[in-house]
Amino acid sequence: MSTAPIYEIDPKTFWKDPYPDLKRMRAEAPIAYVPQLGATLLTRRDDIFENEKKIEIFSSDQPQGLMTVLMGQNLMRKDGAAHMAERKAIFPSVSPKTVKSVWKAQFETETAKALEELRPLGRADMVKDIAKRVSGEALKAITGLTNMSWQEMDRVSQGMIDGCANYAGDPEVEARCHDCTGSIDRHIDGMMPLLRETPDSSMLSVQMQAGLPEEAVRANIKLTISGGQNEPRDVIAGLVWTMLTHPEQLALVRDGKATWLQAFEEYARWISPIGMSPRRVARRYEAKGVTFEPEDRVFLMFGSGNRDEAAFEDPERFDVTRDTSQSIAFGAGPHFCAGAWASRCLIAEVALPMIFENLPGLALAGEVPFGGWAFRGPLEMPVTWGTIVS
Amino acid sequence: METISVTWILLDGTRKSVAVETGGNLMQAALDNGIDGIVGQCGGSLACATCHVVVEEAPSALPEIAPDEDDMLDMAEPERLPESRLSCQLVALPELDGIVLRVP
Ligand code: FES
Repeated sequence: MSTAPIYEIDPKTFWKDPYPDLKRMRAEAPIAYVPQLGATLLTRRDDIFENEKKIEIFSSDQPQGLMTVLMGQNLMRKDGAAHMAERKAIFPSVSPKTVKSVWKAQFETETAKALEELRPLGRADMVKDIAKRVSGEALKAITGLTNMSWQEMDRVSQGMIDGCANYAGDPEVEARCHDCTGSIDRHIDGMMPLLRETPDSSMLSVQMQAGLPEEAVRANIKLTISGGQNEPRDVIAGLVWTMLTHPEQLALVRDGKATWLQAFEEYARWISPIGMSPRRVARRYEAKGVTFEPEDRVFLMFGSGNRDEAAFEDPERFDVTRDTSQSIAFGAGPHFCAGAWASRCLIAEVALPMIFENLPGLALAGEVPFGGWAFRGPLEMPVTWGTIVS
Repeated sequence: METISVTWILLDGTRKSVAVETGGNLMQAALDNGIDGIVGQCGGSLACATCHVVVEEAPSALPEIAPDEDDMLDMAEPERLPESRLSCQLVALPELDGIVLRVP
């Protein structure tokens, strides 16, 4: 374990709202060892930004890590040339050009379908009925697992996330994770012959076209699913909630004084859907008086860096007109989120404008609890809207 | 260690010239020298377009824009110009000694 000063947290409180603790850590112990998490946390924006790039020290290769053990070694768990080669292989499925020319139309079709079905009901849960579905449908398209339902997509994603965070080794959680990866493999088996016949821009297909080993192909699809479902889901619902609770900010977008993209980038800074990324210390290293030993676990706290008062003025305030260029919501360095352009399109160009356009009079209809610090978003969100009386 | 001279025209119009070691990329050089407006979020993995520069003067022909860089440049802020490049894709080579880049 590192020689960083110790900072104790109450895991339950931290899960409910990590921001007060993170603020104190930034001020008092910006590099701190948190015994309850068994990891040394980097909480300042610039420390994260600089150190995430030092892959020879803060390595992503974590052979004993739960993600590698349960899901196979995907590109997020590789460094250097091996990582870059696979990243290049998947680029054609998530490049800005493909997003615009291939995925956007599909995002629109599926979102429209969901909203049309729900509109007559006049009420829904924004997380469970809308965000989950929009996100799941988008992920089906991009991964190429169009033979899966959006409900199953959400289930397998959650099952893997839980499995990767199962530090306590709960056998039930582990079994569910295996069941989820098994389901993904069966769906991959089902799609592979079709995509061999008719290749397309999906991630499954472009990896096959690039000739990546099947093991890597499968691991990368699992990575995409574990990392591609909850973030757009949490941001879609979370941003709707934010806009409804900050009507003056919504007005700025409605009046054309700010864009949905600005709102999206600011939300991702303010409540980062991925609050943390883990690293393994590969060799002894000293930074700011703290010595890291090989095999130490380090958490890069993106959610904290994005509220660093040294990088953002009045960071607790949600302000769509803010300059978010210092945000590290998508990470910093070689593991920068590959899905960044797809998510911007899905959320800022499709989901948010369509939700506000198609559900006139959208309003909150109950409590909206948020949870999580590694991943953070609203847990449920009852909403109502005016139905068209004909 | 061999160096080349790189000049950035900053957002306020002033110029800043520094000696940059050869071999590294010009996005990293900008970060190392605190050039405002060059963010380099993705660390040069061609995923963010926050290292956008406009080449004002090049002492010799620059390497061609690869398809991936081209695709990413379309997303650059502010909008790309014919002389736009992603500075993470420009390597400080001796033949670029004297290059002038504008922060757009
Ligand atoms: S630093 Fe991200 S594209 Fe150049």
